This record gives sequence, structure tokens and C-alpha cells, in this order.
Amino acid sequence: MSLDAIVIGAGHNGLVAAARLGQAGRRVLVLEAEAAPGGLLGEAGGMRIAAMPTGLHPEVARGLALHRHGLRPGRPMATLALGGDAPLRIEGAAVTGVDAATAAAFADLHRRLARQASALAPMMLKVPPRLRDGGWGELMTLARLGLGVRMLGRAEMRELLRILLSNVWDLLNDEIGDGALAGALAMEATLGGAMGPRSPGTVLPLLYRLAGQPRVMPEGGAGAIVAALVRAVEAAGGQVRTGARVEALLAGDDRVEGVRLAGGEEIRAPLVFSNAHPKATLLDLLGVRHLDAEDVRRARRMATEGMVARLDLALAAPPRLPGGTLPGPGDRIIVAPAMGTLEAAFNAAKYKENPDRPALECHWDAGASRLAVSAQFVPCTLKGGWTAEARDRLVANVLSVLDAAMPGLAAEVGDVTLATPADIEARFGLPGGHWHHGEFRVDQMLMLRPFAGAAQYRMPVAGLYLCGAGAHPGGDVTGLPGWNAAGVALKDGRGR
Amino acid sequence: MRYDAIVVGAGHNGLTTACFLARAGLKVLVVEKNDYVGGAAVSRELTPGWTYSNCSYVCSLLRPEIIRALELPKHGLQVIPYESGATFNSKGEYFNYASDHDALRRELIRHDPRDADGYERYARAVMKQCRFIKPLLLRTAPDPTSFRPRDIAELLYIGRRFHGLGERDMAETVRFWTLSIAEFLDEHLRSDIVKAHLAGSGIIGTGLGPYSPGTAYVLLHHYMGEVDGSIGAWGFARGGMGAITKAMAASFRAAGGEIRTGSGLHRFLVRGGRVTGVALENGDEFHADTVVSGMDVRRTFVDHTEAADLPGDFLKAVRRYRFRGSSGKLNIALDAMPTFRAAPKGARFLRGDLHFLDDMAEIERAYDDWKEGRWSSSPYVDFLIPTQIDPTMAPPGKHYATVFVQYAPYELADGPWDDARREAFAQTVIGKIASHVPDFKDLIVHKEVRTPADIEREVGLTEGNIFQGELTFDQLLFNRPVPGYAQYRSPVRGLYMCGSSTHPGGGVMGAPGANAAREVLRDLRRKIDMGAAA
Amino acid sequence: MNAVTEPREAVPMGLVPGPFHDRLEALNHQRAWMNWMGVASPAVLDTVEFEYFAIRNQATLFDVSPMMKYRIAGPDAEAVANRLVTRDVTKLRPGRVAYAIWCDEAGNVVDDGTLFRLSATEFRLCCQEPQLAWLDDVAWGFDVTVEDVSRDIAGLALQGPTSCAVLRDAGLAGIEAMKPFDLREFRVDTHAVTVSRTGFTGDLGYELWMAPEDALAVWDRLMEAGRLRGIRVIGYQALDMARIEAGFLLPRVDFVSSETHLRPGRARNPYELGLDWLVALDKPQFNGRRALVRLAKGKPRRRLVAIEIDRDKPAHHALVYHAKRREVGFVTSALWSPTLKRNIAHAWVEAPYDEAGDLWVEIYRQRELVWQRRMARARIVERAFFRHPRRTATPPADW
Repeated sequence: MSLDAIVIGAGHNGLVAAARLGQAGRRVLVLEAEAAPGGLLGEAGGMRIAAMPTGLHPEVARGLALHRHGLRPGRPMATLALGGDAPLRIEGAAVTGVDAATAAAFADLHRRLARQASALAPMMLKVPPRLRDGGWGELMTLARLGLGVRMLGRAEMRELLRILLSNVWDLLNDEIGDGALAGALAMEATLGGAMGPRSPGTVLPLLYRLAGQPRVMPEGGAGAIVAALVRAVEAAGGQVRTGARVEALLAGDDRVEGVRLAGGEEIRAPLVFSNAHPKATLLDLLGVRHLDAEDVRRARRMATEGMVARLDLALAAPPRLPGGTLPGPGDRIIVAPAMGTLEAAFNAAKYKENPDRPALECHWDAGASRLAVSAQFVPCTLKGGWTAEARDRLVANVLSVLDAAMPGLAAEVGDVTLATPADIEARFGLPGGHWHHGEFRVDQMLMLRPFAGAAQYRMPVAGLYLCGAGAHPGGDVTGLPGWNAAGVALKDGRGR
Repeated sequence: MRYDAIVVGAGHNGLTTACFLARAGLKVLVVEKNDYVGGAAVSRELTPGWTYSNCSYVCSLLRPEIIRALELPKHGLQVIPYESGATFNSKGEYFNYASDHDALRRELIRHDPRDADGYERYARAVMKQCRFIKPLLLRTAPDPTSFRPRDIAELLYIGRRFHGLGERDMAETVRFWTLSIAEFLDEHLRSDIVKAHLAGSGIIGTGLGPYSPGTAYVLLHHYMGEVDGSIGAWGFARGGMGAITKAMAASFRAAGGEIRTGSGLHRFLVRGGRVTGVALENGDEFHADTVVSGMDVRRTFVDHTEAADLPGDFLKAVRRYRFRGSSGKLNIALDAMPTFRAAPKGARFLRGDLHFLDDMAEIERAYDDWKEGRWSSSPYVDFLIPTQIDPTMAPPGKHYATVFVQYAPYELADGPWDDARREAFAQTVIGKIASHVPDFKDLIVHKEVRTPADIEREVGLTEGNIFQGELTFDQLLFNRPVPGYAQYRSPVRGLYMCGSSTHPGGGVMGAPGANAAREVLRDLRRKIDMGAAA
Repeated sequence: MNAVTEPREAVPMGLVPGPFHDRLEALNHQRAWMNWMGVASPAVLDTVEFEYFAIRNQATLFDVSPMMKYRIAGPDAEAVANRLVTRDVTKLRPGRVAYAIWCDEAGNVVDDGTLFRLSATEFRLCCQEPQLAWLDDVAWGFDVTVEDVSRDIAGLALQGPTSCAVLRDAGLAGIEAMKPFDLREFRVDTHAVTVSRTGFTGDLGYELWMAPEDALAVWDRLMEAGRLRGIRVIGYQALDMARIEAGFLLPRVDFVSSETHLRPGRARNPYELGLDWLVALDKPQFNGRRALVRLAKGKPRRRLVAIEIDRDKPAHHALVYHAKRREVGFVTSALWSPTLKRNIAHAWVEAPYDEAGDLWVEIYRQRELVWQRRMARARIVERAFFRHPRRTATPPADW
């Protein structure tokens, strides 16, 4: 069979790219190293890393007609913030369990941030412009963004420009005061990255999450997203081959020619899409000899230290929230009683130490009797290494935080599965174990994601495209990097 | 008494504004709460025979355009450039940041063979950013929300300069503004002691640690200075930092200006949304249509202006303005030149800025202490003995040490600053120095200890922040001090700001003062005289 | 307290002596030292003219030890060298030397230098400016080590028509068999010396590389052997005259490195520098290749050209005009050539005036505080003003 395109990695972005290419009539083969598709959304090694995903961008879901492939959008998840006597319940702009003034302040803050985020949101579907000499045409994209921001009104624009590079610590202290609510929001702003709430630049990821989709737990769980995407690929004539680890990209005279699998099999195609991390794509799969030294330098210095560890706990009994209620299937539990908790955990991680009291995000899967826990901040490179002792210590610290927040839980814990950032790095070939394929901050966004000169999905070697979270607009389960990358390649193909 | 303009505060920015206004022909009065002029740029004799640079202690940021326009050398300013400096680590090693290019190269190679080239790359990157930012210092920041021709023209000017950098350097500039100083240094250098030495400039005066994003820019803020045109060089004002403000005051008086010391401001007089003058604490009232405040934005508007005269949003923004004092200061009279355990006797670099550090993490841990409301148990110190090249500041054979300390909180977690805590803080600092300078404790004749609370009380720098407010992006450029009021004007007509809480910020630079004067004169349809030939 | 150790002395400031310093100092009657990477290097020892004529008519010694030297060694050394420079290194055999340039990703020249292939897996790169950071970037991901060996190797340039004879008389048997850009091991008495038939003068010449501790002995042997051949020690000024005559470019003088320049738009590519012949676009990916492929298709926006100027006053720092009116360039290196008896220069000229003719340079001359401005006609000529057949003749004639 002669192929038009190969997609490396059957993570959600790889599948989205493959489906969009297939819809346009391209013959596509998706190659997945694991036994099952899904990447971080899949069940690899008995654990789903992205246990509480955000929803796909509506443009993607609509464009791929995922409803026809069985994706039933669930309800947005509610966030339960633990810390006080009873959990706070956050749903969109509404919060219960706090005093009226705080609830009103939060609603107001949420409304303003959402409005500011909406001015930035159209950028997510666009290919970022290049800033090279004479690129004024492409600068129009930026000008439109500027205009969109100006349309917010003068006061709102000023506020956006003030907080854009600022930290959530200051913003939330100014607006709602510290506490479990601020802790939960700061968790949302920092999850997956390597910045504590005091770090300038943490407002931006919060805006990004508000500009994107809320977390939803689709019918059938997070795996349903993957299943629907695989069906969309196959319906469009594409093929997903699992257990096929790509070892290297084949590149000839400045053109990509295909891939070589572990075991030596070579598969050829004029286009290759990589859903792998930009560093892995360029430095490992393509190889530095195909790159200029400056691109190698830029790839190497990407900020991509992930600081989330994932744990799955088998529980003999469902967890009980303070006040005695049980968490529902659409509930996401945050244990970050104050922003200081997060900052203290970050303090340890920045010196490459285990935090005594990690901040936690949890989801109770009643069907599997399993509590999925994301713990931060946990360094990828631990001082002294990830020895069995260090792993036990992390588990013990997580359990002690959980038991304090949900008394009695520790006694119910059976099997524990742990994936440290180092485990995630090794298993998924994700440098630094970073969920979002690179820190989300101003110098790694838009035309700077993953780095200047490589931010339009096209990699330095012709025919090679980046379609993962390392490309604009970045991480979470939006599907947009894959969607945009396929769009760019189709446009390039028409122009040729 | 009626004046054309009144300036509140005889710090270096207030005096700079006053000078420019007086030289433009206005009748100007400066009022100052202390009995002496200078604000945070002072030299005072607190123990007989010794002159301390009580607050700020080195001169470099002062804009050459201002030195020229105000004829400061003619009015007595002498700047003595000093050479290099050093960091000592706990292993008994030191890094000499030599000013001689060849010596620095040898010294870097001694610490790591790759750091000589790495340093050159680092220095070029910083130099490029300095070249980009420098012309913006003496310009008023444009309001990005405005459609006024002047703002649009200024935005286009910046946009063109930025675009002119080319794609790669534009990206580098964005990175530079967002990176932490630690990340930036790690990218170029390998030796811990070298990185630790250079990282200090990224955190001095701020409530950020070297790992905090945005600190690479702070470094730039400290590098912008120049002594005779060499970027990054620093010097001592002969006779202490008060020599700068003394020269400014002399320049001001020569231009016909008047200074009244000894009574602080009670409040700004406002009628019908317009400033009409000032009322002092001693009951005196002076009138003028133009009043310029050298105080920080919070003091100016929260403490000394009636809330009723200000829009609520503005006041809210001012209240939110962040100071976060993080620095302390020790001034120490020494009986003799102390001995440094690791330095050869009489080494040239002892005349420069000295630090006692192992690595950048040590500074970050010092910052963690501050976050928790404690002074750093192992603080970052910027230690200088200016009397080695300026003998006017101490009796013959004796010495004066200025010790800048990072970090010390404005509010302690375990209670207010009192004498006992101040002394404990001082002993922490002295103990750290003494571990490298064994005879240090024995040589102390007198000391002045300044916590952020002391700095606030005496100098009027809120929370003791030496920059009149944090240098983070939410308080820089068109956001400084607050969005919409970044062009030195305020909601009260005729009331202007000229302190370091305006663009481009703190340091003994004078740029806010000069910029404010330009805006005042523009409103009066006059031109500022920068003393340039053309 | 721990045992008291003596504090370390501060590193020296300014100039430090190089391996030949004892001999140079004795001969440096002008006490004119230049700073070459922090090493004291003579600008002129007694008389520039005598030193210059010795290059063209006798034999001269010039200390090149301060030059930057890097060792690139390991299984991937060839791959790294080939990725670094624009020439095809796979064609460079062990025992050969190549003049080469290296470019950044935009195709602009980082620096130039000579690449010595010592063996299948070891190269030495000699250049003017520090390159370790750049070499590390280029070598990242390859099985190779890159080391700065600048201070581990002493270098002497022996240049001039009698240089081969001097070496032969110094006991380097078989020296006459070396072709240009050959590299061979010899012994001078008991001292190992690597000789390359390379130089900066456009004439017969050699460069000798040795351990710093052998430097003075080798020097003495050469001086003794050269006594009857008119050997003379020279400084930089005389060498620079020969360099301009030979048409060699000097970084910082004729062009700025794309790595070290600060102002946007100052970097230059090989096509602008007239170094097309060094760019092997037919080899696979090397640094800057993608940009150079694009640049090769267009016309350079400006060119560094060699010009010959009417009248006899050197055109230092002169501006270049078209039709005496329009400013189209400037001179970077200028010389009244004592051998050619011509007024020569390197100059940048904007396109399309680099092909237009009617070029003039504006020369100012001052005689006893009276200034005169002259417009002198300039013609673009071959870059190598002076290139003697001796340079390549093998074996060289016995002088």
C-alpha cells in the first residue's frame, strides 16, 4: 500500500491529525508504540495518565463528526476543593461553601477572566504568524488579535495587559483572598508545569484553560474520547497500528521519507506527522545531523520539566468527603487548602526534593474502585534518584495528605500504582515527563511554540510536521495542535 | 507663597524634576520632610569621623543625559569607577569578576574551561537587550489602549525597533523578559560560583528569587548603568551617595530654585479636581498650579490626597500596587581594613562588590525564608568597602563597609520589628561575613542597621522597597505605577508623579524625574532642556 | 577552623608572555606589543619596512601561538567537522589542511580558519576568535570531544622565499616534498614539530606547531639555520601588509562574525564575501546549508571586492562612491603595496554598483596640518593582488 502520511503516536492529537487528513482523502497510517492507542489518555501500564481530561475543542469534535463515532459529551466536571469542614463546590463561575462575598468576588473574577480569555481564544485555531522580515501579511493575524483585545474595552484591556505576565498568587489574593478556593484555582493554573503560584507567568495558563474547554468526563470515561477518535480515523480510511515503536525518521536530502520501526521495518511516506514531544521528534527521531546547530540549541533549552506524579489507588471502600458525602462520577477533588500549600510543595520540587505535602487532584472511579491521583509538585530528576525508598516516601506523603483531607482513607488503600514524572518520561518518551510537551509560558507560546522558526507545525526538514502539544496552542486535550497541523499540511499540499 | 511648581521630596528624582523645571524658567519650590536633602541618596555622619552612604551605595544608573543637562560635575559630583568584585564560597575559593577582559577570561577558564566562551555569549545577549531597552528609559511609555497620535507613534517606534531585531532576536528578547536569571545563567555557564556571582543582579531589591521568571529583566535593570559609556560598570560617588543629591541641590539653587527641609507633607491641596498647592505638617501652605510628587504612588494618593478627589478605580489600583520590601542595609564603621580568609592581601578586587555564596540555590533558599516572613538565615549580601578608594568617608586608616542584605521582610511572621529582632538580624549578617572575614567582628566601631521598616520610616520608601515598588511586568512600562496613569500625570489635574514608582523604575537613575519634568513642561507648552548640542 | 591554606593569587591582568616571549622581548626594540587573546604579540620589532621586505625576499618568523586552536577528536570527528564548515571535509585526507569558513543557520559567516586533519578521527581547527561555545553547539549529540588546546601548542609561521631552504638547513629532511596544504611530522633536533605548508602571505611559507616547552629550542635552531638566508623576526604590521596583498580576509576588519556582532543586519554571507568557492552545496546537511541554498540562487546585496586605486595614498577607512556622487561602500583594508607598487584595498560595495564601474574613493590626506580631499578612481580587480608561483611550486626552488 502506498501511503500519503504517517502519524507517529496515537495520542489524541495524532488521531485528530490522522482523521482530518483521512477526511481530505489522504491514506494515513498511525503508528503507536503501546499496545493500545491513546497516549496519555490511553491505558498504558495499567494507568491512564490524563485521568481528568479537558474536552476536545468544539471545532475538532464537529469537524470530525465525533458524535457519529460514539462520543457522547458528558457534563462538565465539578471541582470539589477540600480544606475546610466541608468541600467547596466549584462549577463554572459558581462556588458554594464559601461566604457570599467571596462567591460574588469569584463569580466576578471568573466572568472577567473568561471574557479576557475569549479575546485570546480565536488565536487557538490559527497558525501563528512568523515574525521574519517583511512578514507583514502574517502580522495581520497578530493585529487581529490586538484588535480583539482592544474590543474588550479600555479598562478590560488594561487589566489583561497588567495581569498577563503576572502570578496567580497576587491575582487571587487581590480578588478572592487565599484559601481552598484560591488553592483550587492556583492548582488549575499550575497543573503540569514547573511554576509555583508565586511565579510570574502563572496567570497565563489559567487564561488558557478558561479559553479552552472545561474538563468533562464523557460517557464511558476518558477512554471514550480515544475510542471515538480511532473510529473517526478508521472511518476516514486510515489505519492505526499498535505495538509499533518508531525508532527513527528516515530523511533524505532535506526531505522526510518515512520511518523506521524498532526491529528495523521501514515504512515510507512523503509526509510524517509527529505527535511526539518536539525535543524527542527533532533530537531523537530525526537526529541532530539533519538540523542546524541553532535549532538543536533551541530544542535543547526548551523548558519542559513536568512536575506531576500520577498514582492510582485501589480502595476497599469509596472515599468519604468531609461532611460524609461520596464523590460523584463527575467530581474532581482538589486537595490544596491554600496557595501556600502549593508554593511549599513547589519549594521542595525546585531543589529536586520530594514535597512533604504535595497538592492533589483526584477522581474516584466507582466502577473500578480506583482513586486516580495527580500529585504536584514532584520533580522529574530527584536528588539521589528515584529509588524504591524515594518512591515509597512519595506514596506515603500522598497518603498522609489524602488521609488528612478524607479521614480514614489510608486504611482502605490496597494496591498502589505510581508513575513519577521520570516514569512518564521513560514510558512515553516525554522529556522531563511534561504533560503538555513543554512549559506554557510567553516564550513558548504562539509563534514561539515550540521555538521560533519551528512554530508553524512545519519542522526544518520538508514533509515533517509537529502535531502534538508541543505545537501551538499547546497542551490539554483540545485536539487543536493535531487539527491545525493537518490543516497546514493540506494547505502546503495544495500549494505544491 | 506662590510658586510655578512645587516638588514634594528632595530625593534624586524630585531634585531632578525640580532642576529641569527651574532651568526652564519656572519658580520652583522643593519641600522635604527630613532636615537634609537626598532621600535614599544620602551621606550622613552618624558616628564622628565616618560618612555612610546610608541607603543606596553605588552610582552607575544615573543617566549621563541628566549628569550633562544638570551640569552635576560642575556642581561637585565626582564618580570614581571601581574595578571588578568577587564572590567567596564556603570551600575557600573565590571568583574574581575582573573588569580586565583578559583577566576575566583567565579567571573564568580557571573555574571551568567552557565558561570563558559561555560568559562572552551571555554578555553579548545581555548587551543586545541593553541596547534594545536603553533608548526607552528616557521616553514616556505609550498607552497601548490609546488611539492618540502620540501614543500610536510611540508604539510604532517600539514596534519597529523590535521588528528590526529580526525573527531570532525578537524571540530571544521575549525569552529574556520571561526567563528566570537562574535559567538564563544555566544556559550559558557551568560554574556555580560564577553563576551565583552574576545572579545577584537579578534579585537585588525585589521580592523574587533567582528561580523566579522575570528576574533576567531585573538583571538588565542593574546593568543599564554606565560609567563613561561602558555598559554594566559601576562607580562610587566621592563622599558617598549624598554627593549626587548635593550636586543636584546645588544645580537647582543655581537655577534659582528654593528648598525647604524639616517639615513633611500633610496633604496636597485640591480644588475642583485641580491641585492648588501643598499643606505641610508644620501648618505652612504653599500654592502652585503644578505639584510634582517624588513620593511613591501609594504615599502620594492614599496617604496625602483626599479619597474624594480620586476615582475609585484609580484608588483601588493604587492600593493594589505592590511594594514588598525585601532588602536590609548595614553600615559599619571599621577600625581597620579587615582580612579576607581566601583573598591575597591587598587584592584589587577587594575594592569592588563582594559576596559570600556557594550557588544560586543559596540565594533561592534565602528568598524562601523571606516568603515565610523571616529574614534569610544565610542572606545574600552585597558588601563593599568604599574607603579603599574614597578616603573622605572615614578617618585615616579606618574604613567604612556598606552591606546590602537580601532578603529581609517588611513584616516578620513572628511579630513586629523591634530592637532585639533588628540586632538579631544584624548578627545573622555579620556572622555570615565573619565566616569569611575572621577579624570582622572585632573591627566594628559602630553600626547602623536598617530593616525595611526602618527604611520606610526614615526615607519614606513604602514597605522599604528600594525601587518604590516591584519591578515585575505588571508594574513596568505602561503598567507603572498603574495602568492608564503611566505617563506621570494623575487623575488630579496639575498633580504629577516623578518618583521611582513611575517608568522606568528604581535605582539612582534620575530617568523618572527627567521624564516627569518633560511631561510637566509639555503641558505648560515648554520644552525640556537636555543640554544636548543639537 | 580548617587548616589555613594560602589564599590563591589573583589571575594576571592584561598581557601575559607567550612561549616565544623571551626571544621576542630581546628583539622588540620598539617595545610595541599588541594584545592577541591576552598574549603579548609584537606589532613591530624594529622597522616595519625591513620586516615587510623580508617576507617577500627572505624568510621571516612570526609567533602565531596566541591563535585559538581546538582539538576535535573521536569516532564522529569527521561528521562534526563536515557539519561545521561549508567545505566537503570527507575529501580532506589525513595529513592535509584546508582553509574553511563556517556559517550560522542564516548562512552568515561565523568565522574562518584552517582545518588540520591529523588522522581519520582527529582534527585541529585554528582561528582568530574563541569558538568553543559554537563548536560545542555543533558537536552536541555526536560521539566526539572538543577541547581548547590553544595554550598547549606553540606556533611559528616561517614565511618567505627562503623558508624551505631554512627548514632544510635546520634538519627537516624531505621538507621540499611537501605540497601546499600538506601536513607532516618532523623532528628539529630531538623536538617533535608538526609542519604545515600554509600561511597568510600568498608566498612560499610554512607553519610549525610544537609543545610550548620546545618552543625556544626550535626557535634558536631556525634562527641559526636562517642566518645566511636573511631570516628576520617580524611583527603583526608587516604581516598585515602581506595579508592584504595576498587577498586574505580578516574577521573584525573585513567582516564581523555573525556570532559576535551586536547590531542587527551586520552579518555577512560567503557570497557577499566572495568565498563561494568554499561552499560545497552538493554535500548533505551542514550548518547553514538550507539558507545557503536559498542565497546561492539570488544575487548578493553587496560584495567585498578588491580594488586598485589611482594615486599613491592608501585609502584607509575611505568611503566608496559611484560616479563621484552616490555613496556605495567603504574600504576595510588598504595598503600602498611596496612590492606591486600599486595602491590596493578591500572594500564593501553595494549591489548593483559592484558591477557598474565608475567607482571612486574619497581620500583625505593631511600634510603639516593642511587637509586635502581627493577623489581617486578605483577599479575592481582579482582579490589576490599578490600570488607568487613560488607559493605552489613543489619542490620549491633553492634560494
